[in-house]
Amino acid sequence: MKLREIAFSRSGDKGSTSNICVFPYNDADYGRLVDKLTVEVVREKFAALVTGEIVRYEIPANYGLNFVLFDALDGGVSQTLRVDPHGKSFQSLILDIDV
Amino acid sequence: MNSSRSIKIGCGSAYADDPLDAAAALADSGQVDYMGFDCLAERTMALAQIRKLQDPSAGQDQRIAQIVPLMKRLLERGGKVIGSFGAANPNAAAVDFATALCGLGIDGVRIGIIRGDDVLSQVLSTDYALPELRTSTSTIKERIVCANAYIGADAIVDCLREDAQIVLGGRLADPSLFVGPICHEMQWDLDDWDRVAEATLAGHLLECGEHGTGGNFEDPPYRSVPDPHNIGYPMAEIDESGIVVTKLAGTGGLIDRNTVRAQLYYEVHDPARYLTPDIAADFSEVTIEELEPNRVRVGNARGRERPTELKVLVGIDQGWKSVGEFSYGGPGCVERAQRAAEILRKRIDRLGDAVEEIRIDMQGVNSLHLGAFTAGYPAEVRLRLATRCATREAAATAAHEVETLYTHGPAGGGGAVTSIARAIGVTPAYVPRDQIDISYSVVTS
Repeated sequence: MKLREIAFSRSGDKGSTSNICVFPYNDADYGRLVDKLTVEVVREKFAALVTGEIVRYEIPANYGLNFVLFDALDGGVSQTLRVDPHGKSFQSLILDIDV
Repeated sequence: MNSSRSIKIGCGSAYADDPLDAAAALADSGQVDYMGFDCLAERTMALAQIRKLQDPSAGQDQRIAQIVPLMKRLLERGGKVIGSFGAANPNAAAVDFATALCGLGIDGVRIGIIRGDDVLSQVLSTDYALPELRTSTSTIKERIVCANAYIGADAIVDCLREDAQIVLGGRLADPSLFVGPICHEMQWDLDDWDRVAEATLAGHLLECGEHGTGGNFEDPPYRSVPDPHNIGYPMAEIDESGIVVTKLAGTGGLIDRNTVRAQLYYEVHDPARYLTPDIAADFSEVTIEELEPNRVRVGNARGRERPTELKVLVGIDQGWKSVGEFSYGGPGCVERAQRAAEILRKRIDRLGDAVEEIRIDMQGVNSLHLGAFTAGYPAEVRLRLATRCATREAAATAAHEVETLYTHGPAGGGGAVTSIARAIGVTPAYVPRDQIDISYSVVTS
């Protein structure tokens, strides 16, 4: 099953750092996300895009995970040659992960 | 404590080119006392600085003459407008406000002008670390074009205390545009950290405009948002019992637990330590309660002392950027686009060192995620050549190469569109607060 079937996400940018937060529609799926959506799994999915460290923050009070991806935006919005300089579409890529 | 204190504040803008119809509706509704306008993004400030270099009377937000008439009734009711309208040139923004107010026949409006966020000369004369580039300002001095400190709510509160009805500055931090008026009206001290964190929570949910009301959220069939073409901007009602985020009745969009959660951690790194010039805020245990449709109560943000350093965004001249796009369709479109890409690479090679970076994508195939998705064969593909060049001339030549595919490229290519623009990189430095001199003045129009 793809993550998109049970969760939603939003990505944002600060310089060349991206963050992607992920929330299950059903709070009961939070534990599954914590188990399946590891830093290693996310790193593999974003391997072609992210060269730096990836940090995961757990937010149990709101049933969310927040991933911070360093050196993820090829220098950041004002200088990258990428089509999507902000990494707005990263939120869609994370939802393609199998859980 | 006077428990009747309250404030209603709406968001008017989330970036420099944000349309203004929703802002006008909020201002005219009579349901807000204040409007906060975030007019900047990381790239916007650098572009504004370039405009100012070309014309010393430019570099401010370019919508002020449009915005002031939309705020007329709000101002006549005694409402107040706060914004980062100054961008690279707060004085010029103040002149634009005074001119527009005069044009409407309104005089005697107090305008607060906040200065001091522009720290370019200081950054050029002192060596500050640039951690993300793993270098420092002195080593790339000749390429630094701007440096602006993110500044907090202090000067906004000072201006409001002096009865300013309009408060404008340059790189005022996005949430601070709301923290200032909230703390002023609620009489919350700016070192009452838990309360500043609450005000920052409200500001964070407001400052991105439609991001707080269901924009950037729909993903059918899993998530849908009503009437996104008519999406309302967020507003917050704050009193001693807490914060309610809502929007005008009759507007499109959606405010519920999920849209609030999505925005709550947007551009936040450690949820327990969200840093602004005003606060180290802990949003990790924020409570979200749906009161009724499109009314959500949030609370329980906690605060610790604000950072001792201010983040300074340093703009670096990276030359020129060109983009050219071209389409191929039908069977074999990907192979023809690949062939065209080979041609482009060889043609660009001839330009030598003037082209510092080249990137070719096939939109519809691999441009966003570099092949991390696998899909079927596309009906069409748009080839995109992007370059970063040392000179404008090289960028123009590189962009033009895409147009030449009409005549020497593979069969059936069409729809060339090209553009060139200055490339300004931005990177943070961190400067001790006491080295940055923020000042303000309040003038009467």
